[in-house]
Amino acid sequence: MCRNRHRSPRGTRTRRCIIDLLLPAIWLVLCVTPAWAHKVMIFGWVEGDTVYTESKFSGGKKAKNCTVVVYDKEGNQLLEGKTDEQGEFSFKVPKKTDLKIVLKASMGHMAEWVIPADEITADGPISEERSTPDVGLQVATKEGSPSVETKTSGELPAPAAVGMSRQEVKALIDESLDRKLAPILNMLVDSLDRGPRVSEVIGGIGYIFGLVGVALYFANRRRKK
Amino acid sequence: MHISEGVLSPGVLIVGASLTAAGVAVGLRKLDHEEIPSMGILSAAFFVASLVHVPIGPSSVHLILNGLLGLMLGWKAFPAILVGLALQGLLFQFGGITTLGVNTLNMALPAVICYYLFGWGLRIGTRHLVFTVTAFACGLCAVLVSGVLVGFSLYFTGEAFLPAAKVVVAAHLPVMVIEGVLTAACVLFLRRVKSELLEGQYVPKSSS
Repeated sequence: MCRNRHRSPRGTRTRRCIIDLLLPAIWLVLCVTPAWAHKVMIFGWVEGDTVYTESKFSGGKKAKNCTVVVYDKEGNQLLEGKTDEQGEFSFKVPKKTDLKIVLKASMGHMAEWVIPADEITADGPISEERSTPDVGLQVATKEGSPSVETKTSGELPAPAAVGMSRQEVKALIDESLDRKLAPILNMLVDSLDRGPRVSEVIGGIGYIFGLVGVALYFANRRRKK
Repeated sequence: MHISEGVLSPGVLIVGASLTAAGVAVGLRKLDHEEIPSMGILSAAFFVASLVHVPIGPSSVHLILNGLLGLMLGWKAFPAILVGLALQGLLFQFGGITTLGVNTLNMALPAVICYYLFGWGLRIGTRHLVFTVTAFACGLCAVLVSGVLVGFSLYFTGEAFLPAAKVVVAAHLPVMVIEGVLTAACVLFLRRVKSELLEGQYVPKSSS
């Protein structure tokens, strides 16, 4: 194996040293950079009668000005919109059906999110037959205090002020739940955003080396024959 | 660069897959058993490079390294990139399995084109400058051509070509420069430390 050195000896050593040091340094920096990659995703949830969506590229960059198309179960297009500067897009529930929300980002990136029909509660008449007197009373009493907290402790004060329709109670519960669930939703969004794990990266490299091994095995066998 | 599933029309997917199959066949035909390890290493480098996120520019983009693969492997970049992309699709959900053919074509064809365009620089590159500049240009142009090919893929599916290609190329401008620098640095480093890796491609072997 001849090593061709084509340059004058002067300065070669220092330059070589610099490059020999630089390249591993570059690789180190690259390896330390968080493992982010290129994928786009959309996440949608229902709050009241509105569907909120959040879109981003993996790596946390918001997908701005991307087209969002909403389809029903049969694949009919219901509405279309664009994400704002925060990568968010919200719309009123067009009808009570499975909603397929498709994000079309630039450069051939696409993602979709399905909201099943039973997650959509607000649209359509609120079911009157569902008798929920206990909850109604509890929330009604809690409503008297300024902070709406859904403590499910044992103390149940005597129901004094009732005077609320089911609708109002339901609205209150929904509002409170939405607020309580917001952090969980955010957690879900973040967990969806996880980049490739180290195990996957190492696994992939292992696969490639394994393939090399297999290829070499066959190449060697062929040569021996 | 990785086109997601469900974006392209079936025609584009089939044409991409068949062209990729042809490219892989050519690559495997040219494969010498001594080059299998270096191909594996470069395939692994390609696989990992997509995790290096470049936070500059309007969108989120990552390294591709197809210029380097083309320069080092020539036609053998096709199988190497195919393996890397398949694993990226399976493990990271980049791109997809149906779009594997088109994505491989979009990244490997520029690698081969750049190999023919700039390989001479490495072959006759006794001058340090020529060697460096051609390697840089190879890394840069491979990404540029890839962007144009992605634009074409979208165009044949029904999107307007110019806006689509413009967006892709604009998003990858910073990556192009980084790729150029990386390709040049890698090739220079390899010439110093492991010149035999380059010999396979650029110096006719004395013993075979």
